[in-house]
Amino acid sequence: MHSRNAARCITRRLAAESPLACSFRRSLATEAQSIPESSTASSALSTAPVRSKRPPRPQISTAVVLNRSPLLTRTPSPFENAYYAYQARIRRALHNPFPYDFYFKQGSLLETRFNMEEKAREWKAFGRDFVEEEFVSEEKAAADKAAVEQLAQQEGEGEELLPRQHEADATGNRKSLDRQGKRNLYLLLQASENGKDVWRFPQGGVEKGDLLHQAAQKDLYAECGEHMDSWIVSRNPIGVYKPQQPSASAGEAQPEHAVFFFKGHILAGQVRPQGPAIKDFAWLTKQEIEPLVEKDYWEGIKDVLSDY
Amino acid sequence: MRNAVVGSAKAARSVTRFGRAPPVTKNLRKDPRSGLPQPHVPIITRQYAPCRLEDYYYSTLQDDLMYLTYKHQSGDRPPPRQIRLTFDPNDPYSKFRHNPPVGGSQIGKKPAPPSTPENVVRLEKISLHTMVKEAVANRSSLLPAIMQLRALTGETHQGGGRHAVEGIQIVKGKKSVGGWIRPGIPIGVKVDLKGQAMYDFLGTLVEFVLPRLRDFNGVILPPQSSSTTSPSAVSGVVSFGLPPSAMVFFPQIEVNVDSYPKTYGMHIHFVTNATGQGAQDRARALVSGFQIPFLRR
Repeated sequence: MHSRNAARCITRRLAAESPLACSFRRSLATEAQSIPESSTASSALSTAPVRSKRPPRPQISTAVVLNRSPLLTRTPSPFENAYYAYQARIRRALHNPFPYDFYFKQGSLLETRFNMEEKAREWKAFGRDFVEEEFVSEEKAAADKAAVEQLAQQEGEGEELLPRQHEADATGNRKSLDRQGKRNLYLLLQASENGKDVWRFPQGGVEKGDLLHQAAQKDLYAECGEHMDSWIVSRNPIGVYKPQQPSASAGEAQPEHAVFFFKGHILAGQVRPQGPAIKDFAWLTKQEIEPLVEKDYWEGIKDVLSDY
Repeated sequence: MRNAVVGSAKAARSVTRFGRAPPVTKNLRKDPRSGLPQPHVPIITRQYAPCRLEDYYYSTLQDDLMYLTYKHQSGDRPPPRQIRLTFDPNDPYSKFRHNPPVGGSQIGKKPAPPSTPENVVRLEKISLHTMVKEAVANRSSLLPAIMQLRALTGETHQGGGRHAVEGIQIVKGKKSVGGWIRPGIPIGVKVDLKGQAMYDFLGTLVEFVLPRLRDFNGVILPPQSSSTTSPSAVSGVVSFGLPPSAMVFFPQIEVNVDSYPKTYGMHIHFVTNATGQGAQDRARALVSGFQIPFLRR
């Protein structure tokens, strides 16, 4: 109870003042006035009068959930496609008459092109039988078609669009920032901790006097190099994870450890892992992260990651 | 085996192409005035294409805005401080006395609602408004402005069978200002955009118009000393104007600028759901997330 109280006081920059934090600070003020330290501690913790030593200060770290936003639009599901096609068809059937003479000079090439395109769209929506066939002589139809094709060539139409699948998806390159264009990607680092390789977000400790979001940015650059532009979205942490304490020594009170997550965006550049502790990195979707990280870490982070 | 092949052929039938229309067995009742057939049910058009900016809002922007504008609050809020005696109608002293509202205007003093995932700031509508001064003398000079807004937005009165869509509306004078405006005379036009039309307009504005405006560096922010309790600061609306010269950059107008006798500038209001203190700041954060630049003088 007491240590949590202390942790709140340390993080009071980001959290609004809680009643617990207030009471703790007030007890400090009275302590400064007259009463010796040990007696204050024992009076504040009347339930545990035997313990004279303060528990160790909690250890605070920050981690950055570095995000690459989607680059491409989502692919609609078959149901969505059917729905949109149906609605577009109703809309086409009910639309107001198009003011041709307001937009086109009569008999102009642009009008011819528009008419041809419009007819194709009508066919697509209602079928060939439904659209009335206008009589146009064969020579005129051929001439129109040739003229419209020439216009399209002049305007540089028909250029190939880039594929929606990047080659990084085909090769399974997990370090590329271009992979999985429709999804939110997150940066995960493979680090060796206590002789074990774990996947985790970029993380580091907080020095005295640092604001948490600034410490987060600093730690990100310390582990991932300066060769990228990033932006920490908010001063508020978006999540907290408390690693389980190794219960080795019973008498000794372990310092509590809390990792605060901050959301960041990568704007340019790429990660270059710094130092021997960082073995590898990867840009992963939420579903790809789950099998890599440990179970209690996943429980701590799964709700701050986007499903899309 | 054969069944499986037939089944897969059925499954592969296109859901976006439509076959022949069913044969007409019974004619629909016709509207006596227009002579048009009337369907049995009201037909309403809904969203007809995926909306890129709306997807962007829900996949990227909403999370960021929630983190950016989050105000921590532990426990319930304290009740508002009672600074005066409350009016008690049963008290014989105050029973027949006048009960004036005390403490002045409360408009700017309402705190923002608590931060929850449900009330993250979002765009409700975009309102475009043009005032035509010449319309005081000659109301037909509103026509180019109406045509301009129609070309820009494609909105019509109850378009697509939706009764809440009002299309292009005529704005009438409200009060009498000497020698300038009289109540009831048409003086301008406006249109409210919602949903897909709103996001389409926003996309056009941000991608085609603003980058091509030569002397536009951003929407000018008010000085830091400006009031934070004024109605505009707590209503969650971001407004700015475009000059008549900017209209030609809209592709819908650019294509036939010569058809318009004159172009008119317009005011653009981004109406968000933000309310309470600091609402305009939250609204600005949202609008700037859609890449509308802001500038401090």
